[in-house]
Amino acid sequence: MAIRFLKQDQLPAFLGQLAEKARVVAPVKTDGVVQFQPWVSGQDVELDVLLAKQSPKEYVFLQTETYLKFGYEMVKPEAAGGDTAAEEADPVSVDDAAVEVAIPYETVTVEPQNEAPAQVIFGLRPCDARGFVQMDQVFGGYGGFYYDPLYNARREATTLLAVTCREPRSTCFCTAIGGGPAGEEGVDALFTQVDGGFVVEALTEKGEAALAAAGAALTDATDAQIAAAGEVKTAAGAKIDVPFALEGIRDNLHDNIADDRWHDQAMRCISCGTCTYVCPSCYCFSINDELVESTGERYRVWDNCFNPLYTEETSGHNPRAQKSNRFRNRFSHKFWYYPDKYDSLLCSGCGRCIMNCPTRIDIREIVRVMGAPAPAVAAGAASEAPAATGDAPAVAEGKEA
Amino acid sequence: MSRQDHIREFAAQALADGRVDYFIGWKQGYNSSEVVPAFVKDPADVDQLIWTPLCHHNLVTFIKRNMPDPADAKIGLCVKGCDSRTLVALLQEELVDKEKLYVVGVPCDGIVDRRKLEKEFADELVDIAFPERGRVVVTTGKGETREFAQDDVLLDVCGRCRYPNALYADDVAGPLEAEPDREESGPDWSDIADFENLSDDEKQAALERVYATCIRCFACVHVCPVCVCWDKCVNRSREPELVAQKVGAKENLLFQMIHMFHVAGRCTSCGACDRACPVEIPLYLLHRKMNKEIYDMFGFEPGTKLDEKPVFQLFDLATDHFGD
Repeated sequence: MAIRFLKQDQLPAFLGQLAEKARVVAPVKTDGVVQFQPWVSGQDVELDVLLAKQSPKEYVFLQTETYLKFGYEMVKPEAAGGDTAAEEADPVSVDDAAVEVAIPYETVTVEPQNEAPAQVIFGLRPCDARGFVQMDQVFGGYGGFYYDPLYNARREATTLLAVTCREPRSTCFCTAIGGGPAGEEGVDALFTQVDGGFVVEALTEKGEAALAAAGAALTDATDAQIAAAGEVKTAAGAKIDVPFALEGIRDNLHDNIADDRWHDQAMRCISCGTCTYVCPSCYCFSINDELVESTGERYRVWDNCFNPLYTEETSGHNPRAQKSNRFRNRFSHKFWYYPDKYDSLLCSGCGRCIMNCPTRIDIREIVRVMGAPAPAVAAGAASEAPAATGDAPAVAEGKEA
Repeated sequence: MSRQDHIREFAAQALADGRVDYFIGWKQGYNSSEVVPAFVKDPADVDQLIWTPLCHHNLVTFIKRNMPDPADAKIGLCVKGCDSRTLVALLQEELVDKEKLYVVGVPCDGIVDRRKLEKEFADELVDIAFPERGRVVVTTGKGETREFAQDDVLLDVCGRCRYPNALYADDVAGPLEAEPDREESGPDWSDIADFENLSDDEKQAALERVYATCIRCFACVHVCPVCVCWDKCVNRSREPELVAQKVGAKENLLFQMIHMFHVAGRCTSCGACDRACPVEIPLYLLHRKMNKEIYDMFGFEPGTKLDEKPVFQLFDLATDHFGD
C-alpha cells in the first residue's frame, strides 16, 4: 500500500471526512486534562501531551455497558368464562384452565442491548493499540471459546489510527516488553510526525479503508518524507530505557508468591483503582442487576483487583483480604497468570499507572524486584508457601476469565 | 541542621530504640520531580528520607484502619501542620492509638503544586529543584529549564494555611514557622466564593459537569485520611446496593455527596483527595462548602483541639443542641 502524507493543516479536514462515515474519537484537552473524547469539528486534537490520562479502551470496552434491560408487569386477567363453545365440548378441562388464568401473573420483558457504531480512534499511541490486542485474547479468547459479543462487535467496528511517539516520556518502557514507539501491533494505520505533517502508513485493510475514505486530504509521501519518518522512529526507540529483562520474570513471580517483600512493596499503595482504570489492558469487570420499581438493567462495569469486594466470596471469605494480597495480584496477573494462558504479556509499557498513581508506585520497580529470584534467606520459605496460602492462581484466574 | 536532617535523626533513633516498627516519611519518586511516601524499617535506610516543598502526601492516610502492616505495628510518621489536623481528628474519634504512634512534626512553609507546574509545559517534568527558600527551578524532559517563585505555585490549600506547625507531635523537626494570628483572621473561604454565588440550578449543573469526568477509581476515598470504612464503603456495597455502580454524572455526584456527608465535621481540608484524583476533579468544592457551613453554624474547625469531641459526636437528641 502506498505511503501517504497528511499536511499538518489538513488534519481537521482529514478528521472531518472520517467523521462523515464514523464517530471519530481523539485526545482533546478540557480544563487542562487530556482525555479521548468524541471529536467534533473545530476541536483541537492534543498530540503534544504524549499520553491522554486514560487509554482509549473505554470506547471499545465501555466502563458501563448495559447487557440488557428488563421489566415486569403484573397482569390481572379478566374474570373466567366466555368461551361457551369450548365449555360445551369439554367442560371439565375449561373449568381448570379458567381457575389457573384467573390468578394474577407477571409478564417479563427482556431487551438485549448491543450497539456498535462504526468509529475511528485517532491519536492513540502504539502502546494503546497493543492494549486492545491483549484484551482481544480475553474477550475472544481461546479461539473464541470465551467470545464476548459486545466487546467484539465494538472492536470490529473500530479502526485504530495511531501516532508514533516522537518524544517518549521517562516513564515509557514499551521496548522492554516487545513493543516500540512506532509499534504496529493492533495498529490499522500509523501516523508519524515529521516536518510539516504526518507520514501515513496503512497497515491493515481497515486502515486502508479509513485512509481511502478521507483520501482527499492525503497526498503521496515523498522519499525524503519517508526517510524522515524512519529517522523519527529510530530516534524515539533509542530514547526509551529498558528497566528489566523479561526472562525468568514469570517463574520468579510464581516462586515469590509468599515472599514478605510483597508487604514492603505494597506499603504505599492506597488500594484505589487508578492504575487499572488508566491502563490500556486491565479488563476486569463486575456485573450488576439494578432494579428500580419494576424496570431495571443488567450492566457490566469496570472493577479492579484492589477493590476488597472484587474477590469477596458469597460466604464472606475473602481470599485476598489484605491490601498486599491484592497488590500482588495486579503484577502477577500481568506478568505471570495471563502469560501462562495466552503466552503474551498483559502490559504494553505505557507507564500511565506510574504517572497517575496517587503515590507513584512504579510497576518497573515492582517487576524488577519481585520478578527477580528471591534472596537466598527467603528462598526456602517461598518455595513451600504457594499451596498453603489459599490464594493460588487457580482461584484468582477463575475471577478474571 | 536542616529539617531533613532532623527527620532522619528522629527516624534513626526511633527505629534503633525499637520505639517503632517502621517510620513513614517522604523520599524521591521515579525522578527528582516526584516525591512519594517512604516506609523505613532499618535505621541504615533513613538517608532516603527527604524534606522538600514537594512532600505533599498526608502520611496520616497510612495509619488509618487496615493500612498498618502488620495490623498492630508501632509506627513513626512525619506530619505537616495540615496533616496533624487529620491526626488530631482521628485521635478525637479514638480511631488510632496514640500509644502506638511516634509523631514528628515538620514545620512547613508551603507545598508546591506539581500539577500547576505540569500545566506550564507540554513535556514531562524530570526535575524540580529548590536552590534556596522560595525558589523553584523546573526542568523538562527536553532540557527546558524555568524558574518560579514558590509562592506563585503553591497548592491552593497552602495559600490559605493557618496551621504551618503541627498541632500534635512528639518531636519537631527544627524551628517553628511563623504562625498567623488565628484570632484576627478566621478561615479563608474565598476558594468557594464563586461556587457559593451560583444559583441552585447552576450549582447542580456545575457539579454534574465536574463529576461527569469521574472514573470511579475511588482514589479520593482511599487517600482520605478520615475516610475509615475501608472495605465496607457504602459506595461499593452491593448488599444493599445503595449507590449505583454504573458511571455517570448523577451517580458520581451522588457518591461524592455521600462522601461529603460522611466526612462532614471531620474533613480538615488537607486536599489529599484533590491531589490523588487522576482526572483532576475539584473535589474540594463540596468538602469546603460543608466545612464552611459547619464553621458558621457551630464555630467548629475539625482537628484543631485534641481534647475536643467532633461536632457530630456532641449532638444530643434530648436537648436538641450540640453540647453547650
